[in-house]
Amino acid sequence: MNWDCEQIEERLSDYLDGALPPKEAAGYKAHADGCARCTQLVASVRGLVGALRAMEPVAPPLRLVPTILDKTIGPRTEPFGWRAWFGWTRILWQPRFAFGALTILITGAVLSQALGIEWRTPTVADLNPVHIYRAADQGIHRIYARGAKFFGDLRVVYEIESRLNPAPDQEPDQQKPAPAPPSGPGRTEGPTSGPNNLNRAETSTKYVTRFACIVLTAPGRRMP
Amino acid sequence: MEANTAAGHEADDQLEPEAQLVEQCLRGNGAAWEELVRLHTRRIFNLCYRFTSHRQEAEDLSQEVFLRVYRTLGSYRSTYGAFGTWVTSVTRNLLIDHYRRTRRDRLTDSMEDVMAKVEDKESSTRRPDHSAAVAELGGHLQKALAKLSPDLREAVILRDLEGLDYNEIQRVLEVPEGTVKSRINRGRIELARILDQMGVRPN
Repeated sequence: MNWDCEQIEERLSDYLDGALPPKEAAGYKAHADGCARCTQLVASVRGLVGALRAMEPVAPPLRLVPTILDKTIGPRTEPFGWRAWFGWTRILWQPRFAFGALTILITGAVLSQALGIEWRTPTVADLNPVHIYRAADQGIHRIYARGAKFFGDLRVVYEIESRLNPAPDQEPDQQKPAPAPPSGPGRTEGPTSGPNNLNRAETSTKYVTRFACIVLTAPGRRMP
Repeated sequence: MEANTAAGHEADDQLEPEAQLVEQCLRGNGAAWEELVRLHTRRIFNLCYRFTSHRQEAEDLSQEVFLRVYRTLGSYRSTYGAFGTWVTSVTRNLLIDHYRRTRRDRLTDSMEDVMAKVEDKESSTRRPDHSAAVAELGGHLQKALAKLSPDLREAVILRDLEGLDYNEIQRVLEVPEGTVKSRINRGRIELARILDQMGVRPN
């Protein structure tokens, strides 16, 4: 059989798929190799088929299967895919959990500050129970000392103020104010010293003055 | 495309278990249906994507295919052939309907550009070891496919991308074997010419 260019084109796929009988294939090849146009055609179609078959399948969108199932058998209760792994995190989006988490954070911050843990430069020593105990002990003493100091200051202010504005129904010689107690931890329990009858004639103005004195003096006397 | 090529040859082996799944579906077994959907979604989506060159259209069409398959599952008989071939046939009919429906408002050029970008992006992200040239070739091939007439396009896709044999294609397209062969041959030659005009030479 003598092949012409038209026949070469018509039987090209048969030739490439190996569907031609050997005898015909030999004749086909003889023509294809000898004709520049056909050589080019066979080469380009062979390259094309190879490229088509090497094409990677495209990944369908992840939502496709769930959507199809939803539209056919209806929405399913059982989670699948990434929802199965991360579905539980949905409960964390409730406001109460967010509020709870915030509270825990704040508590943690306050506690860590009280325990002397420096978060900016954390060290292993911070987690040492001895260190935590010391820091806590120190913190408690400091708070106690501040309270004691504040109370002591309060008394000093009382005394000064009562001397400056003595009660009208009292004799000046009857006033025997106790000396200002030395401030410091453990020295302020009980109303052992100081007059206990100074506040009989207090007016609202005095209360205001007193409060202002306390507020003004207290911050300046903080413990180091 | 090894998986697709293998799919054609293993059609006979798969016939039995898939026919059983269909039976279970018809008895109301949701898990069997889910299994069938998972088995065929990727292939059907690819078929739609290669034909339409458009991801969103391919997604919508894939959903439509499975909706129709679900509704007409009772009409499938294993004597017809593999379940996969039947689904392919449903897909092909929907693709042709879609093609006719959208023929007027199709803007081929803009569609191709979008598609080529998607194709390039996908190929390069999926196979980082693959050279950019291969990803580019994939984009060119898809562009060329979009320029092919739908008759030739579907024949080439079914043969060279889906790896179906002539018998299966004949069953899907419902045309004589001679027509199938002729369309595949013409489709390949036409595609090679389009690529040549684009200055692309796959070797």
